[in-house]
Amino acid sequence: MRIPVLFGGLLALFSIQAPAVDQSAGSIKTYQPTAVIARDRTEQSVQIGGPVHAGDTIITGANGAVGIMFQDGSVLSLGPDTEFLIEEFLFEPDVANVSFLTRLSHGTASFLSGAIGRISPSSVKFKTPDAILGLRGTKVLIKVD
Amino acid sequence: MPSGIFHRITKKSFGQYKRYQIYFLVLGGLLVGACSSTSVVLVPDPDGKVGEVSVSTAGGETILSQAGESAEATSAESAPSRSGTLSDQEIGEMFSAALANEPLPPKRYLFYFEFDSASLRPDAEPKTSEIDRDLKARAVCEISVIGHSDRTGEANYNRSLSLRRADAVAGLLVKQGVPQECIDIRYYGESDPLIPTRDGVPEPRNRRVEVEVR
Repeated sequence: MRIPVLFGGLLALFSIQAPAVDQSAGSIKTYQPTAVIARDRTEQSVQIGGPVHAGDTIITGANGAVGIMFQDGSVLSLGPDTEFLIEEFLFEPDVANVSFLTRLSHGTASFLSGAIGRISPSSVKFKTPDAILGLRGTKVLIKVD
Repeated sequence: MPSGIFHRITKKSFGQYKRYQIYFLVLGGLLVGACSSTSVVLVPDPDGKVGEVSVSTAGGETILSQAGESAEATSAESAPSRSGTLSDQEIGEMFSAALANEPLPPKRYLFYFEFDSASLRPDAEPKTSEIDRDLKARAVCEISVIGHSDRTGEANYNRSLSLRRADAVAGLLVKQGVPQECIDIRYYGESDPLIPTRDGVPEPRNRRVEVEVR
């Protein structure tokens, strides 16, 4: 009877983890080393399929690149020597509670906006040290030197 | 006896003091020069659609609305400047790694339903095998099934109706072989219509389930 119990335990573990995945802002789809995620003052490794959360800073190295799909269908791709912070990610379209604020401190990014941009175009904002970009349902490329 | 750099500076000749000032000016100039600049390029989305992007600073705002149009902001105080329309080659050189590593964009599929029902309309196309193929082409198995309703009936009733619709489509996908754990079911009732209408208006195009393969 041990194996079924263990299996049941594993299932319980998965069902506990499932909501945490739902609360993530998105997941990592592409990765070229090196890159890290700074989260809660710790450094997390980047893994394809792994989650990203509001508050995470993604930092890529000289040959690094990271591609992320957000919960609202936004697609982000970061090039080398890049530092990118997900300041805020709210996606509750049924109660019109949406917001997507990010900060690109340096490096390159390609961004395709998703459902948040469709529902509330003024809620998608990219900040850089020099400017604030407002995205109205579109794709942009951003470079900060 | 006072010591330190300030004391020593005061003892130097005026000319030498002036030179320190110049060093400071040069250093200050380097710091300003080390400040960043932001370049923004508007490009078409995967469907070929071109939207808009506003580039704002305390000094002003520029709006880009044409494919390849670019702008540059060199400080938070001065207005952003337009930097012309870039060619595909220029864009490719500036953003090569970011563009080469882009994830596949999400793909959406729509399923339409009968009035006040979680039964698919008879003319609804069977798309589940296409969705399954699309999903297998991606590195990570991730799919959202989102139920919706039109605005006839109570909002609360429509929420549960939209969930029943989403469940029906999720069931079809599982039957097709899509792993259950890849599916994320959501339901928004009448609050996210494809075709906005007043309350109480029947709209067949809003009685739908959107499947988004990510």
